Amino acid sequence: MRARRRSLWLLLLLAAAFASNVLVAQYQKKPPDFGGAYSFPSPTHPEPRATWVRTMDISMLALGLGAASWIILKRRNRDALLLLNIGAIAYFGFYRKGCICPIGSIQNVTLALVDSRYLVSFGVIAFFFLPLVAALLVGRVFCGGVCPLGAVQDVVLVRPVRVPERLDRALGWLRYVYLAAAVWFAGWGFHLAIGSWSVNVGRRFLICEWDPFISLFRVSGPFHMLAIGAVFVVGGMFVGRPYCRWLCPYGGLLSILSKVSWRNVEITPDKETDCGLCADSCPYGAIHDLRADRGSCLACARCYVSCPRHLEHCGIKAGPEALIQVQRR
Amino acid sequence: MDANRPDSDAARAKAHTRFWRLWFAPIAAVGALATLAVGAFRVRPTPRSTPSQPVVQPPVAPTSTSPAGSGRILTMAEAQTAMPARRLPRQYVQTAQLGGVSSPDKFLKDLSGIAAGADDHVYAIGDGEVRVFDAALVRLRSWRAPEGAACLAVGPDGRVYVGSSGRVDVFDPAGVHVQTLTVGEKDKPAAVTAIKVFRGELLVADANVRLIRRLGADGAARGMVGHLGKTGRFMLPNGSLDLAIDAGGLVYATDTGRHQVTTWTLDGAPIGKFGKFGMRNPEDFVGCCNPVNLALTPDGKVVTGEKMVARVKVFEPDGTLLAVIGPEHFDPACVHIHLDVDSHGRILAADPVRRVVTVFSLAPSRPPGEPA
Amino acid sequence: MIEKSTRRRFIEGSCRILGLVTLGSTAGLLTQRASAGAVYQVDPNKCKTCDLCRTACVLSLSAVKAVNDFERCGYCMLCPAYMDVNSTPDEKGIPTGKVCPQDALKRRVVGRVDADDPNNNYYEYVVDEARCDGCGKCVKACLPPAGNGSLRLEIRYSRCVECNECAIQIACPDSAIARVSVPGLAPVATHTP
Repeated sequence: MRARRRSLWLLLLLAAAFASNVLVAQYQKKPPDFGGAYSFPSPTHPEPRATWVRTMDISMLALGLGAASWIILKRRNRDALLLLNIGAIAYFGFYRKGCICPIGSIQNVTLALVDSRYLVSFGVIAFFFLPLVAALLVGRVFCGGVCPLGAVQDVVLVRPVRVPERLDRALGWLRYVYLAAAVWFAGWGFHLAIGSWSVNVGRRFLICEWDPFISLFRVSGPFHMLAIGAVFVVGGMFVGRPYCRWLCPYGGLLSILSKVSWRNVEITPDKETDCGLCADSCPYGAIHDLRADRGSCLACARCYVSCPRHLEHCGIKAGPEALIQVQRR
Repeated sequence: MDANRPDSDAARAKAHTRFWRLWFAPIAAVGALATLAVGAFRVRPTPRSTPSQPVVQPPVAPTSTSPAGSGRILTMAEAQTAMPARRLPRQYVQTAQLGGVSSPDKFLKDLSGIAAGADDHVYAIGDGEVRVFDAALVRLRSWRAPEGAACLAVGPDGRVYVGSSGRVDVFDPAGVHVQTLTVGEKDKPAAVTAIKVFRGELLVADANVRLIRRLGADGAARGMVGHLGKTGRFMLPNGSLDLAIDAGGLVYATDTGRHQVTTWTLDGAPIGKFGKFGMRNPEDFVGCCNPVNLALTPDGKVVTGEKMVARVKVFEPDGTLLAVIGPEHFDPACVHIHLDVDSHGRILAADPVRRVVTVFSLAPSRPPGEPA
Repeated sequence: MIEKSTRRRFIEGSCRILGLVTLGSTAGLLTQRASAGAVYQVDPNKCKTCDLCRTACVLSLSAVKAVNDFERCGYCMLCPAYMDVNSTPDEKGIPTGKVCPQDALKRRVVGRVDADDPNNNYYEYVVDEARCDGCGKCVKACLPPAGNGSLRLEIRYSRCVECNECAIQIACPDSAIARVSVPGLAPVATHTP
């Protein structure tokens, strides 16, 4: 297995080297003769991003989704999930500076569908569709383990306020309003004329312009973006994942698909003791009547690690605290 | 409960879990806020206060009246007034124009060469043809020029020589193609940028080898002009070499990279040179590579054409400045000003951007001391 | 496994398949139209070197760099992009001021070297990308007729984070940032030298 993986990497590297050579060779011309020996410096045309870098992004996304599915649904280990979240913040957040992101890719995909001249890359397509397919298969594992925006909010959560269910549901509609606005602005722009008053806005990528944590990942930005970032960090300490639950347009899509997923986070009735510890531990209000609400569940695995029956059933060796401590987190 | 684990281990595990469960989130939150604070103080590049010009303009400041030596390029008027002890000896005025917007002979696509022939006829290459005009700029005849024609010359017998990459096409005075001379080697065709005819021989400027080729009438190579020392040749950063030859057989050539006009014998022996780089004095050549064009008057004065500050200057053969035909006559985007002089000393300047040939004549001279 | 009625499971199953088919076909449609790498690049024929590349990029050191096209460069000693030709000349007549505010345009003498007269030498000009901030002053100074037009601004893919929407593209008044389909084949300048 290892040898095969290594040879695969070698093959990719060779392909990249070959590709860059082919693209480079076209531009070699004879240098002028000014006497003495001279050859042109290395090519001045921008070297294409090495193939392995492009595929690495997509591979990391796929790996992350796979790992998240495994950790959330099979291992049900909160600590491992936390590590995965930190890794996602490090890679997708700080290293890739938050771009390309699946949430923003809604706009690219919209624009590509609306305007056939718009060039969209394979990476963007992969970033848009892979988490959606994963949601259809195993639920919102993207939200739970991979999305850096969600991971930031999840990691800073200290003491969640319980939001009344009706308010939660009402606020959840904001996601679809935002989705509609983002699609509208990305595809057509906003042109409205009422009498003598008219508004003409060209195509804008709203999601990118109002990304709450982009200024955090880039460690720079205009003041209003930094302020929004701070608001969501502080808010996220006391309200569970406010952006994810009420604003994220991609989350809106994911929650629709998650409702009909093949496998998902479940609370099994036959093993229950009706203690309600799971519902208490869920910071996102996704457990209704002691059943996981697939659309709202953000796959954080907190319910699992607070269920005494589950820990016993899985035979997972947790410290004594896991059983005693009621996780009001 | 795991009965095997001793109590101290349980206590440590409990503290460990407590740290992670209790403290990790606030620490992460504080870290995130701190990162945002760092981001707030990171210096972002700010737009410059002065708006940049959207269109490229050569660095000429024509309207201010500060004295010479202030660091700007002087216009003709300033050149005359800035050196109070001396006025430029010659003035040239525009007397005619060929190919202007309202002219029936206007050049629609390009204008790449000009030459003066016998009887002061004007020969021009542009729009894929060679056009012949008489002294009053009335079109006489025209014929198709070869592909990629870059320059032309007229012999004393009226034969027209048109230079393109790797060859010179010869036409008789009526425009009938006589022969094609191959210039340069097969793997390195000559970049012919100028041609002059002298006593049955052709002098062809080759910008590829950076030398002037001396060819017989049949195209046979007779020698090279322009070797300086072992490997020195003309420095041509913009790939253009212009030449002229006077009645005595002295070859004048532009060494644009060195900002010089150089003179040579027909055998290739260097005689002299004049000119240097400078942005302030009008007798200096501006920018990175000037002069780009060259011609000789019948009385042996040297006419040069420059780019960046598009102007034509007239010098004595020793480099003394005689006249400046200022940038107001030419388009600032000119990369060449093709030049030739007819037998009456009228300067023919072809502006390839505006596609206009302007004729400048010597103004009647005034005694010194009288106002302009 | 939660007990579900057969009808419920059927509905869910068919929704799932419908969802997969929709996603798959949309993905296929877009993949047909996609290119190996749609990336942002500056079109040097439209660029008016307005300095916005420096300030509009989301990165604090812009991903746009000046690049010298060595096949077109004249290798001049008196490069108008390197030295400010209008600055005060020294005793040899060579201008002392530099165009690049970051001193990012570096040169070295190449070919046969004449130690006595620098006018006889050719110089190779290379942009130090660690210093270049994409302001475009050298590009502007090299445009014809002053120079050969060999310098141009270009987005370097090793630095560009490939935002979903390029901030420079939004800001550019000349619409000079375009998405090009094959990285590496950047639009080539066609100024006539």
